[in-house]
Amino acid sequence: MSDQQAATAKPAALIDDVRSIIAKSLNISVDQLTPETHLDELGAESLDVIEIVFALEEKFDITIPLKADEATRLATADKNSGQDLPFSTVGDVAEIVEKLVAAKTSKAAQ
Amino acid sequence: MNRVVVTGIGVVSPIGSTREEFWSGLVEARSGIGPIKNIPTERLAARIAAQVLDFNPAQHFDPKRENLLDRFSQFAVVAARAAVQDAQLTLTEEMALLAATIVGNGAGGQNTVDDSYYKFYGQNAPRVHPLTIPRWMINAAASQVSMDLGLKGPTYVISSACASGTHAIGQAFQLVRTGQSPVALAGGTEACLTVGTFKCWEALRVLSPDTCRPFSKTRSGLVLGEGAAMVVLETREHAMARGAPIYAEISGFGMTADAGDIIAVDPDGAARAMRAALIDAKVNPDDIDYVNAHGTGTALNDKAETLALRKAFGASAERLAVSSSKGVLGHSLGAAGALEFAATALALRHQTIPPTANFEEADPDCDLDYVPNAARNAPLQNAMSSSFAFGGLNAVLVLGRA
Repeated sequence: MSDQQAATAKPAALIDDVRSIIAKSLNISVDQLTPETHLDELGAESLDVIEIVFALEEKFDITIPLKADEATRLATADKNSGQDLPFSTVGDVAEIVEKLVAAKTSKAAQ
Repeated sequence: MNRVVVTGIGVVSPIGSTREEFWSGLVEARSGIGPIKNIPTERLAARIAAQVLDFNPAQHFDPKRENLLDRFSQFAVVAARAAVQDAQLTLTEEMALLAATIVGNGAGGQNTVDDSYYKFYGQNAPRVHPLTIPRWMINAAASQVSMDLGLKGPTYVISSACASGTHAIGQAFQLVRTGQSPVALAGGTEACLTVGTFKCWEALRVLSPDTCRPFSKTRSGLVLGEGAAMVVLETREHAMARGAPIYAEISGFGMTADAGDIIAVDPDGAARAMRAALIDAKVNPDDIDYVNAHGTGTALNDKAETLALRKAFGASAERLAVSSSKGVLGHSLGAAGALEFAATALALRHQTIPPTANFEEADPDCDLDYVPNAARNAPLQNAMSSSFAFGGLNAVLVLGRA
């Protein structure tokens, strides 16, 4: 499945949950958040990002490997490629959550 | 104004609890960081710490007394006794009435409170130990030191997170300098390596999974530690009159607040504290030969601290030797500043710069001389010890060769 297909197949509920968690944490309207919106443009500082990550972890029962002072990327979050993943835009966040939820589901299925 | 000197040093540390072991561990970059031994780790993400593993309270306290002291107070009392013995100090009743006890601490009696809450919430116990409060209260460390040694002057705990130990020694320095107290016991203590504390630090996402590598490009976060250091401060006149050994003179103290971010170090606030300490000590940036840095090993701190050193020292930063002791000692929060002050005083005494341990690779963001991995003999006239706390609270001491 290509990235584009994955994006198309992304359940609407997931991105909506991600948007609402970010919006609530930053005290802004969900309407302001598109996948391209950068978190730092919204005034998110490192503590905001930590709180967003915590809320996402609680909501989706996942662990997001983020360091407080490297809050714009995730160190080797993609275990397949071993690459750092960007954690800058709302779309980045949704994609990472989706990957981690999928990994959890496939692990549970094994 | 009195000149103030350091005449006794006592430590309880992950690398040993005699002054000799402590100094040789620092010089040899023998890291006290290792797997957590004293608490269950199944539910912890980071399973390393700089623990004091050889501390046996029964060696130092009778059972009745031991029962009254949380581990953080035990550390403070044991370090304070060692400092007094090291200084060969016998106090007259007249001096004891004015002697100060200023102790830095971040977290209070965490072992006590963790046990009590676990029993109450976790095990549904109907009650907690009756001495929970006197053990837990954050001022207990200063109270217990004053009780143990009979010190009856100004006595309190300073709590400024990771700067507590430095603030405490700075405040004691001012008490002796102004003549309010002829002698002071000052330092810091911390013993908060409980499961509860680890979970809280884990949530903040600043803990390293492997080890502490200050200023190295490969640094991966801080490692929690525990321990205590207490020092005897007295007027130079008094120390000379009684022929006491002198480790170093304290010449300046600077403190500032960032009034900015709650966790990120502000290079400007840190630099202002360094400048204030230099001005107080009446020395120029060029006169400082060695800085014992805060150097926590987080990406952000070490970069911001490097910028702060450049701001405060200007062109003199190029000739400055800077090292962090946290690769060896971990980060013992309220004790860190005091242990590092002790390291700085010993550096002046031995004319040796303790290295930055676990240094692997230079970082373009950290472009000073960090004395990587190997100690260096060098003529040291003046040195600085700095601490920058969460909450933007900065404290810096300047010391001179005795």
